Amino acid sequence: MMQSKTRMIAMSMIAMVMGSGLIGCSERTVKPMHEVNRALRQLATSQRAPVLGQDWLVTLINQRGREKIALIDLRNGRRPVPLPGLNRADSQPISVCVSADGEKLALVRQRENQTEVVFYRRSTALVQRLEINPRGVPRQVSMSGDGKQLAVQVSRDGRWDIDLIRLPG
Amino acid sequence: MISACGAASEPTAGSLQNRSQEDPALSGSGQKLAVIVQQQGRPTVQLRDLRNGKILPLRHFSRHQPHSSPSLSWNGRYLAVITQRGLRRQIVIEDRLSGRMLPLRLPGGQEPSRLSLSPDGRQLAVELINQGLWRVEVFDLKNVLEPDLAAGLQRSTRGPSGLRAP
Repeated sequence: MMQSKTRMIAMSMIAMVMGSGLIGCSERTVKPMHEVNRALRQLATSQRAPVLGQDWLVTLINQRGREKIALIDLRNGRRPVPLPGLNRADSQPISVCVSADGEKLALVRQRENQTEVVFYRRSTALVQRLEINPRGVPRQVSMSGDGKQLAVQVSRDGRWDIDLIRLPG
Repeated sequence: MISACGAASEPTAGSLQNRSQEDPALSGSGQKLAVIVQQQGRPTVQLRDLRNGKILPLRHFSRHQPHSSPSLSWNGRYLAVITQRGLRRQIVIEDRLSGRMLPLRLPGGQEPSRLSLSPDGRQLAVELINQGLWRVEVFDLKNVLEPDLAAGLQRSTRGPSGLRAP
């Protein structure tokens, strides 16, 4: 009698958990990618704001007290690839993102007391300033994996907006 | 070389233009956007379909605020978010296809401050704070998530991996 009551309670508890949509929610410990993480530690004392493409990682790294953008190929060498014209002594990167194929980057940076959004294509090394309209102060960027669209967090009229920008093909 | 670009910004489609929105994250395809909005004063993740502006339902993100740093896979099947569990911050991934919730634990009990999911959902980059310094670590999710691939790259031999999230 006692056993059957216990079984009924256990079954109703299982039904409650399943009904609440909590099935399959056991915690999983994730596995570090040691070689990549070692390469990151060797690159700079501090790294922040990571964004992944498909086998690409873009992050802001601190080297000798200066923050710069590093784009790392996770397949080959795990070394930063050259980004000619993007890291400038007179600008401070705030937020950066990358397309899935690692070809296109966008960033928010502060330069000459202005905060601007710029678009960069590795194959041409061309830096293009993107217009924020209506005017506002950009803070953060996110690019779609296909590199066709950019979402920008903009401070405007005392609140945060999200603007969308169609990127050049 | 710097050149001015013809591209100009426009506000996001949808019904929330009078509310503050932060921390944008586009899906790989660009069709979905996750943002953090204030819901009853609590920063909460919200997912929107940019094709029609509709807010998409999320099964597991009505609690454990504040939420931060959302990140989406290619088709928006996976949404990874930093949530608050008691005094600890925890990474949670919702699989929108199966409805499953996947809480992740970082080795050594480290706590995340930002994250990014790779477009296929097989890698996760996490910003951590260690001894006053920011550090980035990358984790392998190959044994945790099926790939969420772009159309045309879907593998027919790997079961449901090619299915699209609603």
